[in-house]
Amino acid sequence: MKALALGGLAALVLALAVILGPTHVAWADLSTSPVVRDLRVPRALLAFLVGGALAVSGASLQALVRNPLADPFLLGLSGGAGLGAVLAIAGHLSGPWALPLAAFAGALAATALVYRLGLVADAELDPRVLLLAGVAVGAFAGAVMTAIVSLSDAVELRNAFLWLWGGLSGASWLTVLVIAVYLPLPLIVLYASARSLDLLALGEEPARHLGAEVTPVKRRVYLAASALTGAAVAVSGVIGFVGLIVPHLMRFGWGHRHRALLPASFVGGGILLVAADILARVAVAPRELPVGIVTALVGVPLFALLLRRWTT
Amino acid sequence: MGLRPHRPHLAGVLLALAACRGAGHRQAGPSAIVATDDAGRRVALAAPARRVVSLSPAVTELLFALGAGDRVVGRTHWCDYPPQVSAIPDVGDGLNPNVEAVSARKPDLVVLYRSPMDATAAEQFDRMGVASALVSQDRIEDLARAARLLGALTGRAAAGDSIADALGALLSAPPPFPTSRVAFVVWDNPPMVIGAGSYLDQLATLAGARNVFHDLAAPSATVSLEVIAQRDPDAIVVLSDSGALPSWAHRPEWRTVRAVREGRIISLAGSLFARPSPRAALATAELRRRLEGAR
Repeated sequence: MKALALGGLAALVLALAVILGPTHVAWADLSTSPVVRDLRVPRALLAFLVGGALAVSGASLQALVRNPLADPFLLGLSGGAGLGAVLAIAGHLSGPWALPLAAFAGALAATALVYRLGLVADAELDPRVLLLAGVAVGAFAGAVMTAIVSLSDAVELRNAFLWLWGGLSGASWLTVLVIAVYLPLPLIVLYASARSLDLLALGEEPARHLGAEVTPVKRRVYLAASALTGAAVAVSGVIGFVGLIVPHLMRFGWGHRHRALLPASFVGGGILLVAADILARVAVAPRELPVGIVTALVGVPLFALLLRRWTT
Repeated sequence: MGLRPHRPHLAGVLLALAACRGAGHRQAGPSAIVATDDAGRRVALAAPARRVVSLSPAVTELLFALGAGDRVVGRTHWCDYPPQVSAIPDVGDGLNPNVEAVSARKPDLVVLYRSPMDATAAEQFDRMGVASALVSQDRIEDLARAARLLGALTGRAAAGDSIADALGALLSAPPPFPTSRVAFVVWDNPPMVIGAGSYLDQLATLAGARNVFHDLAAPSATVSLEVIAQRDPDAIVVLSDSGALPSWAHRPEWRTVRAVREGRIISLAGSLFARPSPRAALATAELRRRLEGAR
């Protein structure tokens, strides 16, 4: 029943994303209009996949570091990806592929660095150290980025920041294809680790006693969650709050079992981002808002409401 | 920030020109030239400025056009016209300037772009006793006003008036009937276009074209790609120094725009088109020629 409602909601927002837009497309033309076929449909799908990837990444990271604050961005990935993008722009490499690729490379480099710092005393991935390392690497990447930006051309500077705020304007069937090819592997890895994540949430010692291979699981989950985030940032810039909020929202309906929570988070993240993108495109048409601002504007009040229910 | 974006009042720049011409006599007061800049600040000089630091490319170009190029002792990193500017010491950025680097050039006048980012720097120059002027330069009429102001401050009033008059004539001539519709695309992801507030919108009108985003009051704005596709401009205009086609022209999502699909992309040189300049008439003619070529 719950699953049906969630699925229905997903179908509804996807349909709205195709029907609604800053320009008018007549009902009769919906199936033939190039605006719908080449812009709205791929954009809605991209938003759904990116939102889903970020939410699943957030849900797994929260279990991994046993911290409700964890999200892909707290762990330094956004900083790394942003730095990659700014480097590409500063080096005049902002071609169709270079920018996302550079962002992805930056995200992976930050992951590697955070992971390396998180490995204390021989392959022991300490969640607290990981979180601290994430914050530190993120802040460092941010500082390097700002330094580059303030030394580069004023126009490029502004545009780099715009891209960083996240947006789905680059959506096309090609980007949908890129992310659709890229997502399944990390998603399967995380889904297969669902049981271990349940155990890990109890604490490492209990998990070990209950038969989880703690260290390999942690490594696998961390890399898969990073890969999901990297792919999402690569096609759509830095979109905040989805990875933080959606898993918490979904725990209300689906509890703490990751076998149910992960798929629910995927769909929930997709719904949130598609809905936010509709607002971004339509609210101030013909102008457009950065979708990352809309997710924050919608997500933060929702989250505040949740926190109140939680604490009372 | 404290600086409110009010327009300077109708009279524009108030010039109190004294001395300089035979009839005027040096008064007891130390200020022989008093003018008001675009922020409404009083700019007073004892004599025409001899050492000017220009903190914007448009002002540098204007000073050369006034015949005061030899008095420019500092310029921004971005000043690229006329070619002689490369010999002038570079003081860094024009926005949020390095006050120390500027004052090291020992200027008697610093000309800044009028923006909230520069208001603090102007106050710092005031405190150091260096005259400074905040000059708007977003539209052709701003530049005409700047020509008169800088003409007065450099003792080149006649040249300033003649540049201002030429720019005024360009603006007051009835624009040709628009024969094409264009969109200026300044960035691809997210798509950003030029609106009515920009100099380029003005230039399009003068060149016989209509900016399809004239309804947006801002100088530039982020819009949805589908709006560009739906407004269906005859040509897309981009600024580029290399003259090469932008890489996004080949991306599938941009090919929903007819002008992109049909290859009607006009690439304009940044140094002539990115800012209003005394060469506005030249820019207009060039744009017109390019638009006709694209048809």
